[in-house]
Amino acid sequence: MRTQVPLLEIKNLHVQFKVFEGVLKVLNGVNIVIREKEKVGLVGETGCGKTTTIKSVLRILPSPQAKITGGQIFYRGRDILTMQPREIPGLRRGELSAIFQDPLASLNPVFTVGQQLGDILKHSMKHQGVKGISKKEIRSKAADLLRETGMPDPERILKTYPVQLSGGMRQRVCISEALRATVKLLLADEPTTNLDVTIQDQILRRLDDLVEERGTSILLISHSLGIVRDLTERVYIMYAGTIVETTRTRRLFENPLHPYTKALLKTIPKLTGKGLSEGIRGRIPNYLNPPQGCRFHPRCDSAMNICRKENPPGFSAGNDHVAACWLFRG
Amino acid sequence: MTVMNEDILRVKGLVKHFFTRLGTVRAVDNVSFAIRRGETFGLVGESGSGKTTVAHTLVGIYKPTGGEAYFRDQSLGEDFSHRSKALKKNIRIVFQDPGSSLNPRWSIKQILELPLRIHRTSYGKNHVEAVSELLRMVELPPEEYLYKYPQAIGGGEKQMVAIARALATEPDFVALDEPTSALDVSIQAKIIKLLTRLQKKLDLTYLFITHDLSLMRNMANRVAIMYLGKIAEVAPTREFFQKPLHPYTNMLLSSIPVTSDEEEKLKPKQIRSTGEIPSPVNIPPGCSFHLRCPRCMDICSRLDPVMTEKEAGHWVRCHLYPAAGQ
Repeated sequence: MRTQVPLLEIKNLHVQFKVFEGVLKVLNGVNIVIREKEKVGLVGETGCGKTTTIKSVLRILPSPQAKITGGQIFYRGRDILTMQPREIPGLRRGELSAIFQDPLASLNPVFTVGQQLGDILKHSMKHQGVKGISKKEIRSKAADLLRETGMPDPERILKTYPVQLSGGMRQRVCISEALRATVKLLLADEPTTNLDVTIQDQILRRLDDLVEERGTSILLISHSLGIVRDLTERVYIMYAGTIVETTRTRRLFENPLHPYTKALLKTIPKLTGKGLSEGIRGRIPNYLNPPQGCRFHPRCDSAMNICRKENPPGFSAGNDHVAACWLFRG
Repeated sequence: MTVMNEDILRVKGLVKHFFTRLGTVRAVDNVSFAIRRGETFGLVGESGSGKTTVAHTLVGIYKPTGGEAYFRDQSLGEDFSHRSKALKKNIRIVFQDPGSSLNPRWSIKQILELPLRIHRTSYGKNHVEAVSELLRMVELPPEEYLYKYPQAIGGGEKQMVAIARALATEPDFVALDEPTSALDVSIQAKIIKLLTRLQKKLDLTYLFITHDLSLMRNMANRVAIMYLGKIAEVAPTREFFQKPLHPYTNMLLSSIPVTSDEEEKLKPKQIRSTGEIPSPVNIPPGCSFHLRCPRCMDICSRLDPVMTEKEAGHWVRCHLYPAAGQ
């Protein structure tokens, strides 16, 4: 299969936050690989460290509270964590791009959509070495980008301010910013969580088409397994700062292995209406004092002695299927 | 709609308009339904469809602009400053965000004591036992939670406290306004189970509001779908999901991300989501959905359709299903 250097490789990432009460040990050895043209999902509940993971990749963790205490993040074989600070903006303007949950917070309220999109395009082209483009050209390029996201009347939208747009429109603006030509990897952090389902459906379909057309890789972060099932080829399940399971998306829904994944799948209300499970007992651990061993063991029904002592490494279950659980020691 | 003796709550032509600088927001526009005793009546819709305004008006946060609403034989035509204490005791609400609906400066004991002090004065001054009883009812050990403050407990537990507060007055009817939307699915399952158990035990009637259709499928006995302040379709839950009639219901159902092939089969295929929800200040003429409707006809932009009963208990408001004799 594909053997070349993966586009993005997160290796054994540890991140801690210093707070008044002590140190929050949030990420506890996260491993993620994204190959070229691959659509990957990252799923987990609130507070499991999904956003912390992509903030580490973009190097926008809040400083000085947050500290990366271990691991590497390779982008095309180069470690982002050891890059010089002046190299980072180039990467973010060039091949990396991100969409966040709240589009209003990621757009500047005092500039028009046209000004913001234009600026991004200008810098992105500068990064490519293209110079001396007229304002008119940039404007028409910006309008093209908006049109591609399915925005009606892009010329008019360019003259508006973000507050004048609806939530769905704002997110379309963010997507068009994120999908400029140079982008190779898109990090989408809950891009449709704030939107209504009919709008969510439109935006996700559009996003999927665009990513497909351009051969962009995407890391889609979501708490919704349904969205991830529709849009991705491979999926990572995250719990309390660790990746507990990864496999091809289809396989995860057919044959989930990790007790957490199984329990999570059961708690999702089904359209077929077969009632709900009891949920998962307990709650996500306190990061000040995470449990010893496997972080899921206090809530796990099949916890064994070893689970309380040692953190399980990823055990392969064949077919690209890895579960970090002592049950699959083999 | 058939009005039976067991209807605990009747709403007829309810209207709630808000008058703002930008114009009149027609949040709820001529809504009628009846809720039977002991059932869970579901209200779905996207943001801005007016489902929360309906709940708030019934509970008494707003005074309706027009129409009638009755709880048993008491009118709900006034807001709570003009309602009787008995009525306020009987109709309670659980809000969406437990983080902002619980007073951060009060301990859980204080939060739960207030409704007891007002509505169940028989307890005298010793409320601790009554509050503990309430906490046990929502499956929180009182010795652990009694003196904690809201910020010290998780989102799911806060919502359980909010439920306990609503049930403290021993109500007959509870409006649940998106009680689990702010929570993770694993916590949501717990809360929903708890609500179902309490309903059986205490003989409660629920108005359940959510935008999550999959959750609605598992919770409600009957479902009404709202679009721009009006009800588009009402049906018993099973029928609503298996034989949806209104194009908007179909569009909404086809947009839900699901987690199995079995569910995928239930989603209407022929319809895809288009367009955005118009502003409730500027509602399109005729049928308010016609701009997004894939099966729009000439008549739709001119005439607002009326509710017709297609099958027993299955009502739809769409020109595709004209009333007999029309």
